[in-house]
Amino acid sequence: MDAALSLDHVTKRYGDFTAVDDLSFAARQGRILGFLGPNGAGKTSTLRMVLGLSSPTSGTLSVLGAPDGRPVRDRIGFLPEERGLYRRMTPVEAIVFLAGLKGLPAPEARRRARQMLEEQGLGAAQNRQIRNLSKGMAQKVQLIAAIAHRPELVILDEPFSGLDPVNQQTLESMIRNLARDGATVVFSTHVMQHAERLCDHVVLLAGGRKAFDGSVTEAKDRAPRALVLEGRLEAAAAAALPGVTAVATSPLDGGGQRQTCALDPQASGQEALKSAFAQGLDIQRFELREPSLHDAFIVLTGTTPDQMEVAA
Amino acid sequence: MRRLIKIAAREYIAYVRTVGFWLSMLALPLGMGLVLGASGYMEASAPAPAIVLIDQTPGQTFGPLVAKKFSDGPGGRPRADIIDPPVVLPADPRAIGAALKPWLAGNLKLEGKRKLAAAFVIHGQGEAIAIDVWTDNPLLTATDTVRTVVAGQMERSRLEAAGVSPALLLQAAALKPTVTDFSPKTSEKASLLNRLPGVIGFGAAMLLWSVIFTGAGILLNGVIEEKSSKVLEVLLSSATVPEILFGKILGVAGVTFTVLGVWGTVGTILMNVFAPDVARDVGKVLMGGGLIFYFAFYLAAGYLMYASIFTAIGAFCETTREAQTLLGPIMILLTIPVIFLSQALRRPDTPALEIMSWIPPFTPFMMTARAASGPPIWQVLGTGVLMLATVALVVWIAGRAFRAGALSTGKVDFKGLIAKLRGGE
Repeated sequence: MDAALSLDHVTKRYGDFTAVDDLSFAARQGRILGFLGPNGAGKTSTLRMVLGLSSPTSGTLSVLGAPDGRPVRDRIGFLPEERGLYRRMTPVEAIVFLAGLKGLPAPEARRRARQMLEEQGLGAAQNRQIRNLSKGMAQKVQLIAAIAHRPELVILDEPFSGLDPVNQQTLESMIRNLARDGATVVFSTHVMQHAERLCDHVVLLAGGRKAFDGSVTEAKDRAPRALVLEGRLEAAAAAALPGVTAVATSPLDGGGQRQTCALDPQASGQEALKSAFAQGLDIQRFELREPSLHDAFIVLTGTTPDQMEVAA
Repeated sequence: MRRLIKIAAREYIAYVRTVGFWLSMLALPLGMGLVLGASGYMEASAPAPAIVLIDQTPGQTFGPLVAKKFSDGPGGRPRADIIDPPVVLPADPRAIGAALKPWLAGNLKLEGKRKLAAAFVIHGQGEAIAIDVWTDNPLLTATDTVRTVVAGQMERSRLEAAGVSPALLLQAAALKPTVTDFSPKTSEKASLLNRLPGVIGFGAAMLLWSVIFTGAGILLNGVIEEKSSKVLEVLLSSATVPEILFGKILGVAGVTFTVLGVWGTVGTILMNVFAPDVARDVGKVLMGGGLIFYFAFYLAAGYLMYASIFTAIGAFCETTREAQTLLGPIMILLTIPVIFLSQALRRPDTPALEIMSWIPPFTPFMMTARAASGPPIWQVLGTGVLMLATVALVVWIAGRAFRAGALSTGKVDFKGLIAKLRGGE
């Protein structure tokens, strides 16, 4: 399958600061690519280069066959990180205007706008001014405005930020539908749970450099499984269990500690657990945890969890 | 082009829908009507000032002459109402003011709750006549009237004493030269038509100034709103910078010219109804010699130059307060032409205006105002080319600034602005 988007050794510098460093990856047609990284990792800078809003310092891009998004802007849908619409317009007017800039004739844009607003439960709000809508409703309107012209490539910069869990779920469903209809979706996020649920392919970015490029499963395979033990046991005792390579200790609210034990890929969690009970360690709760994308990110990028935001 | 038109149309509709647009449409005619009506009403309803006139000269020849002059005002209304003193006055002229002080200061009122506006005491004899004026209103026109009447009578007395007969004096006073204005261009009698180009040139320059001021203000606020509401980045992903920039400028120009068009149409209709000769002459001046195209050229170029600057500034600011810092130099620049425009009306060939015509930011104003004096063609072409080159440069820089500003975050200081202009992003 051809790549709708590819970057080849792309670097972007602002003066002495390198925002994106030698980045290469490709997004295949009709797939969902998660572009992951903490704030300041270079995600927005990369997406702006893709759109042609800024130029790379070095390296090349291919966006729907063009050197950047400008010549093919009518075939791209874009939702920026910091969202905004004309506050005095109605949702229908905003969608018709923005889709019109992408070449969709006004009557067709109006028809699609009404249909999509109805589908997203915004039928009753279609003629209200945007300033009178809730933030979640306005964000849905903006996403509809970004995709009403049925773009081949959809770029969403932090699309989940600021949304409540219900609207996050709705948005996930919209993204899946876009891919199902054949669009290539690239979305950036620093919340791993969304990427884990949605993406066929993830690119992990840290400090402007690519840390990983592959499937979600491949990413998770890079992180160790963990044995979580809660009770009144010391870190040294947990570290001495068979197959345990590292231990992270955190206090529990009701007293005691949680020992999160990273396991060697070849080790058996059952063996470690058996050994703990055999030694008579005070364990009130245990869990054998498969690695999440969040764990994989930490391993792959070396970024500490406090630099990540917890999913809403 | 399609996107440019769509952006222009959105800008236009967005402003036409606002209450402010309709208020500004009605504000000028209503304001002018209110000012004219109010001043006319004040003129008609204001009572003639109450004045005490004391003539202490031997023969008391001045008092009746001044009284006659005061009674014969424009429109048959008296210039002043001469009243009897409200109190018995002392003989000493210097003490009269003190005696009338409560009335002159307004502490005591005359009949009908009027204030005593002034007291004139004419005293002395022969050629040593003095007029003491007691008033707290230094701008009272009655003072000039008294001075003129008394001086005229003194002159007549002197001439009569020298043997000139009163009849001859009357004849001499009636002598007046015939003054005729000729136009050096037509070698015929000058008419309103000859003076109109200067007035229209001045008016066109002021029109350009007001278009820039209002249009650029609308643009600035519009872009600031888009920047703060993060719409600009979406626009940049959907259209080119020139499409956005010119779309906005065109849309706001449409708004400004709609207002001016409505005012102009109403004004033309009123002029055709109430002053058809003037309306015909204005039409002749504008159409004759392509003056209207001359004005249109400078209007378009001037508006484009300043609108581009204001739009670019707006892209760097999220609040009007931020914009004020960057706007300062531009506002000073815009104030300078206004100072010189009135001079252009009186003396359009002043060397200072000619020099200023060569400074591109002032060219549109100065060349428009100098239209009446018919500046040499080489100056028209030279300043025009220089101005067009400047407009192209300003638009290019504004495009880079707009792009950089639209994508920037946080407050931009002057150093940061220059860095972004050099980097373009």
